[in-house]
Amino acid sequence: MGAMTSTSTLLAPPRPAVARALAATKVYGTGDQAVRALEDLTVEIPGGRFTAIMGPSGSGKSTLMHCLAGLDTLTSGQVFIGDTELGALSDRELTALRRERVGFVFQSFNLMPTLTAWENITLPFALAGHKIDTEWLDLVIGTVGLGDRLRHRPSELSGGQQQRVAIARALATRPDLVFADEPTGNLDSTTGAEVLEFLRAAVRDMGQTVVMVTHDPVAAGYADAVVFLADGRTVGAMEQPTPGRVLDALKTIGS
Amino acid sequence: MLRLVISSVRAHVRRLLSTSLAVCLGVALLAGTMLLGDTLRANFDSLFQSALGSSDAVVRSSNTLTTDGEFAQDLIDGSLATELSEIDGVAVVAPQIEGFGQLTGSDGEKLGGEGPPTFAGNWIDDPELNPYELVEGRAPVTNDEVVINRGAADDGDLAVGDRTIVATPEPVEVEIVGIATFGGEDGLGPTTFTAFSLAGAEEHVTGQPGGVTALLVKADDGVSQEAVVSRVADVMPNGVEVISGDDLVDEANDEINADFVGFLRIFLTVFAAVALLVATFSINNTFSIIAAQRQRSSALLRAIGADRRQVFWSLAGESIVVGVVASAAGLGLGFALAQGLKALFDAFGFALPAGGLTVSTTTLVIAPLVGILITMLASLAPAVRASRVAPLAALRDVAVDRSASSRWRLVAGSVMLAGGVVAVVTGASSGALGRAGLGALLTAAGIVAIGPVAARPAGSVIGAPIARSRGVPGVLARRNAMRSPRRTAATASALMIGIGVVTVFTAFAGSLKSSVDDNVSAVIDGDLMIAASQFGGGGLSPGIVDAIDALPEVDHAVGVGTGPVSIDGRTRQVTVLDPVASTGLVVPDVVDGSAVAELGDEQVAVSEPIADDNGWKVGTELDVRFTDGSTEQLEVAAVYEPSTTIQDLVVPTVMWERHAVQSIDTIVVIGAADGVDIETARSAVESATTTFAPPDVLTTEEYVADATANINQILGLVYVMLLLAIVIALMGIANTLSLSIYERVRELALLRAVGADRAQVRSMIRWESVVIAVFGTIGGVALGLFLGWGLVTARGAGSFPIEFAVPVSQVVIIGVVGAIAGIVAAVRPARRAAKLDIIDALAASA
Repeated sequence: MGAMTSTSTLLAPPRPAVARALAATKVYGTGDQAVRALEDLTVEIPGGRFTAIMGPSGSGKSTLMHCLAGLDTLTSGQVFIGDTELGALSDRELTALRRERVGFVFQSFNLMPTLTAWENITLPFALAGHKIDTEWLDLVIGTVGLGDRLRHRPSELSGGQQQRVAIARALATRPDLVFADEPTGNLDSTTGAEVLEFLRAAVRDMGQTVVMVTHDPVAAGYADAVVFLADGRTVGAMEQPTPGRVLDALKTIGS
Repeated sequence: MLRLVISSVRAHVRRLLSTSLAVCLGVALLAGTMLLGDTLRANFDSLFQSALGSSDAVVRSSNTLTTDGEFAQDLIDGSLATELSEIDGVAVVAPQIEGFGQLTGSDGEKLGGEGPPTFAGNWIDDPELNPYELVEGRAPVTNDEVVINRGAADDGDLAVGDRTIVATPEPVEVEIVGIATFGGEDGLGPTTFTAFSLAGAEEHVTGQPGGVTALLVKADDGVSQEAVVSRVADVMPNGVEVISGDDLVDEANDEINADFVGFLRIFLTVFAAVALLVATFSINNTFSIIAAQRQRSSALLRAIGADRRQVFWSLAGESIVVGVVASAAGLGLGFALAQGLKALFDAFGFALPAGGLTVSTTTLVIAPLVGILITMLASLAPAVRASRVAPLAALRDVAVDRSASSRWRLVAGSVMLAGGVVAVVTGASSGALGRAGLGALLTAAGIVAIGPVAARPAGSVIGAPIARSRGVPGVLARRNAMRSPRRTAATASALMIGIGVVTVFTAFAGSLKSSVDDNVSAVIDGDLMIAASQFGGGGLSPGIVDAIDALPEVDHAVGVGTGPVSIDGRTRQVTVLDPVASTGLVVPDVVDGSAVAELGDEQVAVSEPIADDNGWKVGTELDVRFTDGSTEQLEVAAVYEPSTTIQDLVVPTVMWERHAVQSIDTIVVIGAADGVDIETARSAVESATTTFAPPDVLTTEEYVADATANINQILGLVYVMLLLAIVIALMGIANTLSLSIYERVRELALLRAVGADRAQVRSMIRWESVVIAVFGTIGGVALGLFLGWGLVTARGAGSFPIEFAVPVSQVVIIGVVGAIAGIVAAVRPARRAAKLDIIDALAASA
């Protein structure tokens, strides 16, 4: 069930659990030096929603995202994307999964410097050797507003434009879910707000699923829900967050 | 600062190691060359000392004509010995006859003759003057008794009492009465020696009773060589000279050093130079990248108070460490190399008397010094660039390698290139080899200078088919190769120079080969040939022609000899043949005058360039001096096109025999009788000539193949050189790729995250490498062919004409090998890139 054969349509009703982690445990190192990044963690990412994952440094939020996205493997427990258990996949299958069912937006360095904006956006298709879904891409590019910058190289784009290209690439294959890792970390607040609006629009207007890792309560305020992590476990959740409530919640976790 | 250098070397040890290897190989070759050269020189010196040094004075004819490798000396009157022995201070006088004679082994096969000379002469009775020493049997007494050296006896399975044939070149049946050693060894190197009695040598070797090659003089105790020489000189008649034993040894040393050892040295030095040249490019490239990579830390050093000099030395110091370590290792490897080459000589039967390597201080100082200096020189520019970084760069996130190609570089490079091309072309058309050579250097330098300018368009063109056929990895590979043109160009330069040099050699050898082929087929019209081996002074008996001529299967045959004459004080090589017999067999292309077959007894034919240079025309009378010192006035009857098979002049056999010591043929050309097929004629000729034990009877094609065999051997060595250059350049490419991967680690992680699999990552690196390698290879082949054309054409006609020919198959091989080198160079870096840990690499970006 690749992106191209996805049956999801525009404005599809929210589906439960696009991705799940079950009793996920991740240990780095061994013996005395062992660091338990995830500790028996169970979480569900509902479809068609914008979920933020928050927590202090070392809480395991990046590790969780990497494991959910098939970039890293668990020590024990299971991760599912749809019905696919990632632990059972080979490197080649994981690569294909990332290419077709997952989108990424990183904090910085999202784009291949030698490729134009258009080539970056269509990179997953090119890597897979698939035909481009033109109709969908036009919609995506129209939404992030890049029409006239497609022939430019990343070095010729502003930071905000680069992140918009990254979002367009993440959405290009109509993935099961998009992971955004501190997507506004390198941007000024106005540009950051723009980028977050695009992510929210992707969920609201295009029916996509977005998971964002952040430590910024303002950014988390754009999400539909927030999951709080500490010491490798989920320690709370919040529906319809606002920056103020998130900040309060974080203070509680910190104490 | 020193601590910084050391820690930096330690951090980059892997990368520096592969750079070091290039320096190490270059130094090893240089040291090996010097060691082997010194060793050979010392060995030959001791060899000649024992062969020639026992005489205090040597009396010989002053009529000598020396040309490349050939040496002809007239005989002197042996009766001078009586007069000499009466001089005060002279203890012993011994006559010596030297010539050539090839022994036949007990199995009927000839001994030696494929390189080292086969000497024949007289047995000198005075043990002090005779470098040979009997170990078995006795000295020869009758004319058909001989002593042979132990090496020849062992090789031919000959023992005292055996009878065998010696070709002098007349077949002489002899009985072996003694076995001798040379200074305790089996012989003088791999040469063979057959000693007759004095009378026997006069009869068989020179054929001139009373004549000797030299008189060896031993002085009384306490009389110096100088004293004997001056006393002897006083009584010597005209045409006879005396030389001291020491001078004779020096003379022999000079000759072998100029000749054999000289050639070997030049050859190995060229190897070393190529290796060092390629190494220079590799080092420069590596340090450029290190400097670029370290820009921020250099800037940080400057920001916290280091001055430019300190930043400069932090990099220059690293290059010194690399230079010293690599050169030391290279010196060690050089010893092993020299030992190995010496063992190779031994294996080929060239056992040198004194064992062990001769190590001179020069070798120990020069070889490592060159390595260190080259390393420092190559890293100079990168170090200076690093020291110029602004302290503020530490705070900015600057691109690692902006590598814009400067306008100055473009202008200077274009000027050099244009000047070089003009010099090569004009040099080629006017035959000015020096100018063409200078132009070649300029062209190469110009190409290297404008390399970065060419790299982007070249990478684009070379990468285009890859981008089209290899998908995204191909597109990325092409753009990565175009991304930092200076780096791509610098990396490719190493390969380009190496392949360029090899292509020049290949083009030269290929041209030589096709010229020999053209020349032989243009001049030789016979069906079969017998050719004496090219070295060793052996030849074919004129009796062979007579025997063949008598065969019914043969129409007629002609013997062709060579030798030196002197005209207007200059030595010329002549071809000696019987004009009438040469009809229809040896037909130089006459441009003016009568056919060579119509030469009269008092006439000669001259090759065109020699005639032009001297203003000789048909009808010109030439004063030709022969090896016996007498001069004849001969008329130019024909001028012919130069050819590799025919020398500067053609002299009729009748004239030659009047003045020659030994009349021998070097080739015999045979025309089969009408209606007789070649194989029938061949077996008839073979059976008619068995008593002469001649070399194989060949068709013209086989002869050409034989004559060009040495060229193939040289080509083989050139391919070893190619391999060497490629190995070094390969390490350079691998180095550059590794560094690029290191720099682009975040790109790789991103690619992997968005769905590139490992094979695609490997493919991207591999094709980038191929683009670089193909760029270097094409540049090298183009450069090499152009320079090969220029140099071959400039070398031009002359007495040994070579016309430029493109050795297509070899060039294709070089091209393919170059491209494969790209793939091979990428193997390790690509594997490393594919195994990249995505999470770690992503973390590096945070």
